[in-house]
Amino acid sequence: MEWMLRLIEGGAGSLAAYLAAHVLLCLLPAFFIAGAMAALIPKASITRWLGRATPAYVSYPAAAAAGSLLAVCSCTIVPLFAGIYRKGAGIGPAITFLFFAPAGNIMALAYTGSILGPEFAVARVVMCLLFGIGIGLLMALIFWRDDASHDAQTDTLFAEQARIAPAALGVLLSLVALLIAGTLKLWPLTATVATVQLPIPWAEAWQATLFHWVPFDAAKGEEGVSFQGSVLIGLLLLIAATAWRGLENIIEGANRWTWLALGLAASTLLVAALRLTPQPGGLEVALTGRFLAVGLTLGAVWHFARRLPADDWRAWLWEAWRFVKQIFVLLVVGVFIVGMVRQVIRPEWIESLAGSNTVLANAVAVGFGVFMYFPTLVEVPVARMFLDLGMHPGPLLAYLMADPELSLQSMLMVAAVIGRTKTAAYVGMVALFSICAGLVYGAWVDGLGSVPLAGALGTLLLALAVALAWLRRRQRAEPAA
Amino acid sequence: MLTIKILGSGCANCKKLEAVAREAADNAHVQADFVKVTDMKEILAFDLLSTPGLVINDKLVSSGRIPTVAEVQKWLV
Repeated sequence: MEWMLRLIEGGAGSLAAYLAAHVLLCLLPAFFIAGAMAALIPKASITRWLGRATPAYVSYPAAAAAGSLLAVCSCTIVPLFAGIYRKGAGIGPAITFLFFAPAGNIMALAYTGSILGPEFAVARVVMCLLFGIGIGLLMALIFWRDDASHDAQTDTLFAEQARIAPAALGVLLSLVALLIAGTLKLWPLTATVATVQLPIPWAEAWQATLFHWVPFDAAKGEEGVSFQGSVLIGLLLLIAATAWRGLENIIEGANRWTWLALGLAASTLLVAALRLTPQPGGLEVALTGRFLAVGLTLGAVWHFARRLPADDWRAWLWEAWRFVKQIFVLLVVGVFIVGMVRQVIRPEWIESLAGSNTVLANAVAVGFGVFMYFPTLVEVPVARMFLDLGMHPGPLLAYLMADPELSLQSMLMVAAVIGRTKTAAYVGMVALFSICAGLVYGAWVDGLGSVPLAGALGTLLLALAVALAWLRRRQRAEPAA
Repeated sequence: MLTIKILGSGCANCKKLEAVAREAADNAHVQADFVKVTDMKEILAFDLLSTPGLVINDKLVSSGRIPTVAEVQKWLV
C-alpha cells in the first residue's frame, strides 16, 4: 500500500513539476506555431520541389523541409510520403521526408530543447537531417530499378505552385521569435530590469505548503513546484476551461470565450517570463528582459494576425487547438507514468547497461526504442528520466533517433506503401544509423573535436550523392543505347 | 442521389469535415449517401497530399483542410 502511494506521489510530483516549469514557455507557442504551419503554409509552396523532374540536390533538402514544416501530424505524413514515393521524386526523398519529420518538426524541437537542453535538440536535428538524407540516398541507390519504373507515369500532383502570404509569414516569424524569447537562457533575457514588492502575506506560507505537497530530491534531478509554478498551473486550467467553449467551433467564427482563452494564453506567457520570489511578508516580482521580449513579440503576433483573412486565422486557431487536444492529454498521462516508473528503476541498472558510450550500449538503446512505443513527444520525458538516472548522452541520442522512427505503427504504415522488402531495408538502416549517430554524439560529448567528425560525416554524404548521380547518368544512358 | 466520401483515418479533422458536409447537404436539400473511407490504400488512390479529403461523386473537391459550409454547398449543386 505504501509502495503504491509512493508511485502515485512520484507521478503527481513529476507532472506538477513539468507543468509548472517546462511545458508552458515552450509548448504553448509551439502549439500555435504548429497550427500556423498546418493552416497557413500552402503545401504547394514546398511540394512543387518534390516532383519527378526535380534534380536530387533540390528534392532531398526540399523533402527535409517538408518534413519539418508540413508534417506536424499523421494526416499529412502518410499521404505525403506515399505521394512523393509513387507520384513524385521517388523513394529517396520520400524516405528522407519520413525520417526527418518526427525530429525536425517544431514541437519536437522546442520540447527536446527545453527538457533535455539545446545541445540535444541541435544534435537530434543535425543527425536526423544528415542521416535522413543519407538513408534516402542509400535507398534510392539500392532500389533504383523501382524508381525507373515509376518514371513512366506522369504527375500533376506536384505541379501546382503557391506562395506563402506576407501576413502569414509575419505571424510565423513572430511566433518563432516568441518561442525563442520565452525559452532561451541568455543574458539580455535573464537580466532583471526592475523589481516590485507586492504585499501578499500568504506567499511564503503557500510556497512552504507546495514543497510539502510535492517533496523533491534535487540530487536525483527532481524539481519541486515553485510559487510561480502554481500560478501557471492555475492559469493553464483556466485556459483549458475557456478554450473548450472558445475554440471548439472556431471555424464558424470567434465568440467571447475565444478572446478570453487567447487573452489567458498571452497572460500565461507573460507571467511565466516574470520572476516571482516569495519573501517574508510579501512577494517580490522581478521584471526581466524576457518579460519585455515576450510582450514585444506578442504584440508582433497580434499585429500580423489582424491582417490575416478571417478564414485563415480561424483555420490557424482550429489547427492549434486540435494539436492541443491530440497531444496534450497523452503528454500529461505519459509524464505521470514516467514519474511513477522512475521510482522503480534503479540508477545502477541504467549505469551498467548504457552508462558509457559503447556499441553495445547504443544497440541496447536502439532496441529499447524499437520495442517501446510512446505516443508523440512522450519519448522526450522518458529520455530525461534516463539522462537523470545516469545514461550516457550518446546512447540516449541513439534512443531518441530510433524511438519515433521505428515504432511498430510507423513500420506497418511504411510497409503498406512501399512493400515488405524495402521496409526491412529501411528498418535495418535506421537501426544501424541510429547506433552510429549515438556513437558519434557520444564521442563528441566525451571530448572528440567537432571538426574531424563533421568532416567525416560530410565526406560520407558526398560519396553517397556522387554514387547516386553516377547511377542516374548510367540509367539515362541505358535506354538510349 | 450523390455519393459523398470523407477520406481520412479518423482524426479530429475528418469528423469535423463530415459534420460540415452533412450540414451543407441539409442546407442545399440534397439527398446524399455518406461514405467514410478510412483505408489508407483506398485514400491514396485519390490525388491528395494530406487528409481530410472530400470526394463528391468520385471527384476530389478538397484536401488537407476543412472547407466552410458555404463552399461545400457550391460544390453540391
